[in-house]
Amino acid sequence: MRARADRFGLFVPGSSPIHRAPLWAKYLAVLAIGAAALVWRIAPVAVGLTALTVLLYALAGRHVLSRWAWPLKHLWWMFAILGVHQWWLAGGGLAGLWHAVGIVGSMLAALQAARLLLLSTEQADLLDGLARALAPLRRLGVDADAVTLALHVMLRSIPALAGAAGDVTDAATARGLRRNPLVLAGPVVVSAVGYAHRTADALAARGLMDRDDDAA
Amino acid sequence: METMPAPSIVFESAGVSVPDEDAQRRGLPDAARDLLHPLTLTLTERRIAVIGANGSGKSTLLKLINGLARPSTGRVLVDGACTVRDTGRVRRTVGFLFTDPLAQLVMPVVVEDVELSLRARVRDRAERRAHALEVLARLGIERLAERSVYDLSGGERQLAALATVLAAGQRILVADEPTTLLDLRNDALLRRTLDGLEQQVVYATHDLAFAAEADRALVVEDGRIVFDGAASDAVDAYRHLALEGV
Ligand SMILES: Nc1ncnc2c1ncn2[C@@H]1O[C@H](COP(=O)(O)OP(=O)(O)OP(=O)(O)O)[C@@H](O)[C@H]1O
Ligand SMILES: [Mg+2]
Repeated sequence: MRARADRFGLFVPGSSPIHRAPLWAKYLAVLAIGAAALVWRIAPVAVGLTALTVLLYALAGRHVLSRWAWPLKHLWWMFAILGVHQWWLAGGGLAGLWHAVGIVGSMLAALQAARLLLLSTEQADLLDGLARALAPLRRLGVDADAVTLALHVMLRSIPALAGAAGDVTDAATARGLRRNPLVLAGPVVVSAVGYAHRTADALAARGLMDRDDDAA
Repeated sequence: METMPAPSIVFESAGVSVPDEDAQRRGLPDAARDLLHPLTLTLTERRIAVIGANGSGKSTLLKLINGLARPSTGRVLVDGACTVRDTGRVRRTVGFLFTDPLAQLVMPVVVEDVELSLRARVRDRAERRAHALEVLARLGIERLAERSVYDLSGGERQLAALATVLAAGQRILVADEPTTLLDLRNDALLRRTLDGLEQQVVYATHDLAFAAEADRALVVEDGRIVFDGAASDAVDAYRHLALEGV
């Protein structure tokens, strides 16, 4: 799979105030931005929150800031489909446009906030923090390590799937097929399922999915 | 206490079959296709190679050893532990190296991935890091510790994947075509590294020179072991078989 695939949300080393902020503060900020976006979903708030994420990315340094546009570059079609749908639902026109900007902008702001957490925090810290936070739930039968690992594999899958989509697009282009999303969907799903199988096998082989780990 | 069984991999009439969908469509509901015919063997040699054509059943055979594939008949024992009933113990004895290291590496940075293997055994974070770095140093790749797995060359990735397996400390290493994606130099590097390991290594390969270095080799053909013996003889037998009628 391709190198460019890892740009979705992987750690960019740095010593900015954002990098050095305590983990709980970062989680809290993501929650706050996400909650604000979710509660209001109106254009002024959405645009304001999105602008705020640009500012926070800038605070995290040049390399992080340069990653800001990644979702727009690679997932624009998703935002476009969602935007048109929302515009149409709201009856079109200028009012519909404002509505669509509110919805899509809120999503973008929440996504960017979550990405910033990933970009500015080493994944091991992220996981240890999460495992610690989940530890009290152990009494309720929640396996904090398993949850953490699952989350981790999910994070890891995003770039892998983006890579698969890129590979399939290239393969289709090489064979003179147009970039028709419907034609591409099949191979991407097949590739994703194959990836999931290989990852599951690899995790199992490393003994990371066994229930009886504490037995020996 | 139980007496310790001799350290070994034992196949007891172990076979793998899957429903034969073609035949089932033709009205034979119980039809099955053997991916691996029942076979009985004991593997104790330090270096064991498995060779054979594409689709002959090499990967299936290897996956039986750590329980990634389950026998439909018979059973497979590793140091006396059944791969189906005692999967956890088997996985702690057998490490598995895949052809594609990217499928195997889940953490973004090499040293973190090695730490992941240690998570269950070493709770202390600093200790885990030290231990992980030590494993990387043993393979001569400590310089890769902080690198993204995406930015590594194929050979470096495969060595990193090997480090994650070795960190788990299993006694046996199973490797499915570990050198297939590597160039000449990385191929030599990985082979030398594997050769230097204390672990028992069972590996599948299409590289006959690599296979010839083993202490014992199995030739698989259509789900059957058609030759089992000295590696150089196995390579001759496979060559003969493969080029027959070409
Ligand atoms: N889960 C499965 N269900 C059905 N058939 C399978 C399954 N896994 C493998 N096979 C089939 O079993 C046969 C043996 O596959 P296997 O992967 O063991 O071959 P191999 O010797 O490793 O080949 P290669 O050299 O191409 O890696 C093949 O015909 C394959 O299509
Ligand atoms: Mg194979």
